[in-house]
Order: sequence, then structure tokens, then C-alpha cells
Amino acid sequence: MNKSLNLALGALTGGLMVVAIYMVFEYVPTEADQGIVQRIFYFHVPCAWVAFAAFGLVAICGIFYLWLESPIWDDLGYAAAESGMVFCTLVLVTGSIWAKPIWGTWWTWDSRLTTTLILWLLYGGYLLLRAMADDTPQVARFAAVVGIVAVADVPVVVVSVRLWRTIHPAVLVTREGGHGLEDPRMVATLLVALAAFTALFVWLLILRFATLRMRTRIAKLAGELNLAHAAAGDL
Amino acid sequence: MSGFVAVLRKDLRLEVRSGESTIALVALSLLILVVLVFALDPVGGVRGAGIAAGALWVAMIFAGVIGSTRALHAERDNGCIRALILSPLDRGALYVAKLTAAFIFMAIAETAAVVLMVLFFNLDFDARLLRLAPVIALGALGFSALSTLLAAIAGRIRAGDLLLPLLAVPMFVPALIAGVKASGAALTGAPFGAIAQWLKILVAFDVIFLAAGYLLFEHVVGED
Amino acid sequence: MENFGYLFAAYTIIFAVIFLYVVFIWRRQARLEVELRTLEARLKEVRQELMARETTARAAQ
Repeated sequence: MNKSLNLALGALTGGLMVVAIYMVFEYVPTEADQGIVQRIFYFHVPCAWVAFAAFGLVAICGIFYLWLESPIWDDLGYAAAESGMVFCTLVLVTGSIWAKPIWGTWWTWDSRLTTTLILWLLYGGYLLLRAMADDTPQVARFAAVVGIVAVADVPVVVVSVRLWRTIHPAVLVTREGGHGLEDPRMVATLLVALAAFTALFVWLLILRFATLRMRTRIAKLAGELNLAHAAAGDL
Repeated sequence: MSGFVAVLRKDLRLEVRSGESTIALVALSLLILVVLVFALDPVGGVRGAGIAAGALWVAMIFAGVIGSTRALHAERDNGCIRALILSPLDRGALYVAKLTAAFIFMAIAETAAVVLMVLFFNLDFDARLLRLAPVIALGALGFSALSTLLAAIAGRIRAGDLLLPLLAVPMFVPALIAGVKASGAALTGAPFGAIAQWLKILVAFDVIFLAAGYLLFEHVVGED
Repeated sequence: MENFGYLFAAYTIIFAVIFLYVVFIWRRQARLEVELRTLEARLKEVRQELMARETTARAAQ
């Protein structure tokens, strides 16, 4: 990744983020029912969107890796899983902080929260696999398989958790999305925040991807050095 | 087909001779059920049935995870997995054979666990248990499909034993939810309609993981 | 301004986590760059050494 692209993306992310923060704290009107806490929504939802997109990308990279066996796909998948995990953690934490004043509890087993938690656990497992094992093509294949299987699992998780929750009445039926956004300024704020987080995600992804590429290059150089040493040693 | 039969027969013969996996699985299920009885102190009736269903599935998950870790050690210690990988056997057939063996051991352990559950949780041996059978069978099949694929991964990395439950349990969550609900409904004598929706989820889970395992197994056991 | 604490906490955590993650990536990148430079320098050294030996060997013949 060249430096100027990196800088440009960083600047774009920073700019969008500043605008988003201004809109969240100054521009957007306070929501009538929930009051000021509802403003968490404008960053909470983009975090969720980015996390889900990242996890989808992990599976796509897994498929391409198994197909083409190029380490680029492996590194991209790893980078996506890691940044996805950062945003998934943020979704859970901000959701929890939002739930406390509104629902009166830090955690409820509502279907969306439960699904997000399970996603977090699934990709936590994926990252543990990567952290515990060495960087070999074999482990890269394992990670690709786990990434694909995890995404294949998501639809059943969503359906089962939803069905599980309809048995017990939910604490609060309506939440964000569609209901509370009657003011066009709210929609505009959410859209800007979505753009800011998407840019942030792409930027982080590229940064992390670059370090992973460098790691691959170092491994290759170390191999060459060993060969050169061996050649020098036999004289 | 002959390869499938050969691998399955090998696994079953090994088990008949030593009986290790089955005994370990049944003993573990027994222990888990006893621990849960102490922890939850269930009484009979509807509440007892609901808790019994949950306990049964907890036993299934933990016994299943530990059972597949054990099977994996056995394979690794005698170099069997190496030989299987080097053999010209079709990867899909190899997967189905390992899966069938895992399913048979689990089915035996689950049958024992159901008997123990009825005894410990003050339930009755009656027709309701027949309704439980397809639920347990689908759950065991899904778990076998999942653990066979993941055990092949865990068996070939250093901290595999630790990693297996960390990967398997979150993935098994939908089947766990559906299984516990369906078992609870079956044990309290709910009509079939109440079980059907959960059975659908179990079937979907099984289909997804059987297909994923069958298609992806070759990438897991491929040579380095 | 009720519940301002929650709002403040949520946004602080978001930016703290993102900032820490960026720092984590940058530090790792810096470390890897050093490693890469060292490796490249050593590889060059060993190769030059090899070449030098080859020339002396040819001169001796």
C-alpha cells in the first residue's frame, strides 16, 4: 500500500468523523422518547454495519483463498476478522451502555443482542485459532474453512434466536431503525456516520493488511537468508 | 463406497475392542447430569422436565466435545490420521465415515444419558421419550458433522484441544436452542406442532453442516 | 441533559478503542519495518560475502 493513498484515506476518515461528531452533538434534534442517550444510535448502528460487513468479507476471502491459494486472500481475511472484532466489541459495549438507561438493564437476551454476542464468540474462536497456530498455508486453510462455516452458521443462528425470543416476550418490542427516525436530520446524521465508519473500516483494514503483508515478506526473506547462510557455510 | 466401509469398520472395531470412547462418553454424561442435579435441584413435573431437557443438552455438548478430543488423540497417537490422509480415499467418503462413527458413539451415549435423565429428574419411561428420539438424533447428527470437521482442524495444531470447544460450542448454538426447546416440549407432552418448528431448525442446521463438512473436508486434510 | 454520562461513556469508549487499535497496528508496523531492514541488510552482507569468495576462488584458479 503506498503512503499517499493511506494518508488520503486517513484524512477522509478523519474529516468524515469530525462532520459526523458535529452532526451527532449539534445538528441532530434530540429524540422525544429516549432523550439524549438516543444519540448513541448514530455510532452504534454504523459499528454493527461495519462488523457484519467485515465478517462477510472474512468468508469471501476464505472462499477465494481455498480457490486461488494466494496468501493475499489469507492476509485480507485475517485483517477483516480482526477489525470486524473491534467493531463487534464496540456494538456490544455501546449497546449495553444504551440499554442501561432505556431498558434499565445492562444486558437483555433480546434477539439482536444475542445474535451479536454469538457472532462475537464465533469470530473470537477464529482469531484464537489464528493466534494459537503458526503462519503456515495449512493454518491459513483451517482459518478459511472456519470463516466460511461461521458465516454459513449465521442464518440459522438468526432464525433460531428470533424464534427463541418470540417464546419469551421481548423487553421492548420496538427499538432503533425505521421507528424513531421521523426527522430527516436524523436520517442525514445516520448516513454521514455510516459513511465515516465505512471509511474508517477500509482505512483500518488497509493498515492491518499492510502489516500482515509485511509479515509474509519477512518470513520469505528469512527463508532466503537461511539459504544464503547455508550456501556460505559449506565453504 | 468400499473406502467408506473400511474406515467405518476400522473405527467401530477399535471401539468394540477397547470401548474407551463410549465408556468415557457415558461416564461424562452421568457426571454432568449429577452435577446439574446438585446445581439446579429440580423437582418433578413441568419445571423438572424443562430443566431435564437443558441438562441433557449440556451433557451432550460437553461429552461430545471431550469425546471428539479423545478420538482425535487416538488417531494422532497411532499415526492413523497420517495414513488416512496419504490414502487415495475420497475426502468426502472419509468425512462421512468419520462422521458416521462419531454419530454412532454419540447415539449410544445419548441413549444412556436419556435413561439417566429419566431416573435423576423423576420423569417416567413413557411414549414422550419416543418423541424425544428424533430431536436427540438430529442434534447428535449435527454435532457429529460439526465436530468431525473441527476435530480434523484441532487435531493438527498445537493447542487444538483447547480450541475445539471454543470453535464448536458457538457454532452449535442454533442447534442447542432448537434442541433444548424441542426436548422440553417433547418431555412435557406438547403436541407435535410445538416441536415441528424446532425440528425444522435442527434439520436446517444438520443440512448446512453436513454440506459444509463434505465440501470443505478436503481442504482440511490436504497435505501441507 | 439527563443520562449525559451514558452518552459520554459510549462515545469515549468508541474513540478510545479505535485509537488503541490504530496504535497497536502502527507499533506492530514499525517493529516489522525494523525487522525487515535488518533482514535485508544481513541478506545483502551474506550475498556480498558469497560473491567475494567466488571472485577470490576464480582468481586463484
